[in-house]
Amino acid sequence: MDNEVPLPPPRRIRHRSPSRLSPAGSVASSFRKSRRLSRLDDRSSQPSSDPALFSSDDIPASGLENYNAPVAGAGRKRRYRGTWWGEQVVDPKRKRADFREKRHVDSGVWMGSDDSVAESSLPSEDAPNWGEDLLKTVLDPRAPGKAFNAPSLPKMPDTASAPVQPRPVILQGPAESEEQKYARTVINYCLEKGEDSIDLGNLNLKYLPPGLLRPLQHLTKLPSLREAPISENAYSSLQPFLRIYLSNNSLTTLYTSEIFELKDLKVLTVRNNKLMRIPEAIRKLTALQVLNVSMNRLDELPWDLLWLLQQGELKHFTAHPNPFPSIEESEIIEWHCQAGETNNGDDGEEAEVEALKAPPPPKFRQYEGSPPADAWATIHVATGPVKRLDMEGRPVKYSPPFNVAAASETASRAPSLREVSLRAISKLDGIDQLTDFELLEFPALVIPLISLARQVRQEGSQHCSICQREFIVPRAQWIEWWDCMPYENGMKRPRASGEKLRPLPFKRVSCSWACLPELRRVE
Amino acid sequence: MADPTRSEYVTLVSCDGFEFIIPRSAACISGTIRRMLDPASKFSEALSGRCVLENLTGIVLEKVCEYFMYNEKHKDQANVPDMEIPAELCLELLMAADYLDT
Repeated sequence: MDNEVPLPPPRRIRHRSPSRLSPAGSVASSFRKSRRLSRLDDRSSQPSSDPALFSSDDIPASGLENYNAPVAGAGRKRRYRGTWWGEQVVDPKRKRADFREKRHVDSGVWMGSDDSVAESSLPSEDAPNWGEDLLKTVLDPRAPGKAFNAPSLPKMPDTASAPVQPRPVILQGPAESEEQKYARTVINYCLEKGEDSIDLGNLNLKYLPPGLLRPLQHLTKLPSLREAPISENAYSSLQPFLRIYLSNNSLTTLYTSEIFELKDLKVLTVRNNKLMRIPEAIRKLTALQVLNVSMNRLDELPWDLLWLLQQGELKHFTAHPNPFPSIEESEIIEWHCQAGETNNGDDGEEAEVEALKAPPPPKFRQYEGSPPADAWATIHVATGPVKRLDMEGRPVKYSPPFNVAAASETASRAPSLREVSLRAISKLDGIDQLTDFELLEFPALVIPLISLARQVRQEGSQHCSICQREFIVPRAQWIEWWDCMPYENGMKRPRASGEKLRPLPFKRVSCSWACLPELRRVE
Repeated sequence: MADPTRSEYVTLVSCDGFEFIIPRSAACISGTIRRMLDPASKFSEALSGRCVLENLTGIVLEKVCEYFMYNEKHKDQANVPDMEIPAELCLELLMAADYLDT
């Protein structure tokens, strides 16, 4: 009924095109329809053959006069597909062109203009997938060689609504490298899809640009179920289990404090980078469960990391390989754990007896039966010498007769005036935006101090490992050797009886000369 | 009048003429002032008990003296509260701290 046939026929009739196979369902329906039509025996308006092709020789660019002139079609002969009265083949793959065609239809004859030809030759697949594919294959710096002649695309991957024609992107602020753009794309994608596993591995990132990770604070997972499941088990938590993979990059610093603003971060991997140190601010990641810092250039770990192991959720910590000094070659002033000793002296004073000549390597004590509680815990193995620093954070040249007197005089927890004013400076607005060049405008004497305040602002403040106060200028530092073996194997097994300890160096810093380890007071 | 080298109080004078009289022990928190007032040094400051600090204005010196008293008060305390520093003074105070070696 609805297909009473006028001449010319109604628009939007599908012509059979050899270039595509229609899906099975539509075959059936069109078959049914055609049967009905055949009963009416009126199919004259519907050509069974392919639509006619007309060459468009009347386009001036293709004329004989300027035959050699560059044509926008780049050598392709313009072709017009369809019936002579201007109806177009409705190609489902060219949805994007629909709008334009609709606009031109009332002129009777439609002539493809240059840009629409160029456009329609671009999307070869369905539009929404097309954008992502291009992003994946072209923008991905993991595919070498391609990244540099890639058209720059808008950052968001939702190209379904975005214009198809490549457009020069407007750079915001300092120029971003391809890797950073890609990282941003990944993060935006994860934010949009509610994906809580952020893979930024193998991107050759040199540093994390500010503002990159901050939006992940607000990541929310989307419910994966569309309809009510049969069993309750199918429900999963919408609390994001945030995982960030930064492995195989070229990071030299975890400069941005933003990564430490992600309170929900559960898994962090910085494997195979060029990190020289782990910032103390890692303490803020109290939800961290898995941390991998292997294959970096670390020679010490922050004390705050041990705090995370002992007090926090951190249960799987991978530190090796890294160029840590070995305990045998390091200067040790006190051993807390002796080979074969029954009391391994976690913090007991008894372990201090003639500890100075404890023969390395230290071993865990022998036990029988089920493993004792401390086979699962961290063990304090040894303490290195304390290095005192002056009020500007430089090491004090140690000259005992003078310094003992001076130390007793200044061993107060009251901060120095430098410290007090630096704390005020570090709270100033914009101190973290200060460039090195601007720093030179300050009096030469205070430049190192102000840059310290800037660093503290950028990386987050340090805490005294004894009194937990925040401070800016460290006044003393020392290494403590702790064995974290059960954590290194992910709490899978406790220490075996008599197992050799492989302690890791943790650097402790303190805010004043009054905050020193216990043993120093004895001397 | 008592001997100024032994006196319990010293006078700090700013470059614009403000005078602050504070306990000697508090003033000696600053290494520079301690050396100035050291009786063994025979500086005129040590003899008169009066230090003229040419680099510091009255406003800064007032804050410095406040710090001296703050430090004196919290010297042996475990939990030291923070001292409030106005933002416009903190850079000058840092310079003063460098000069006074404290």
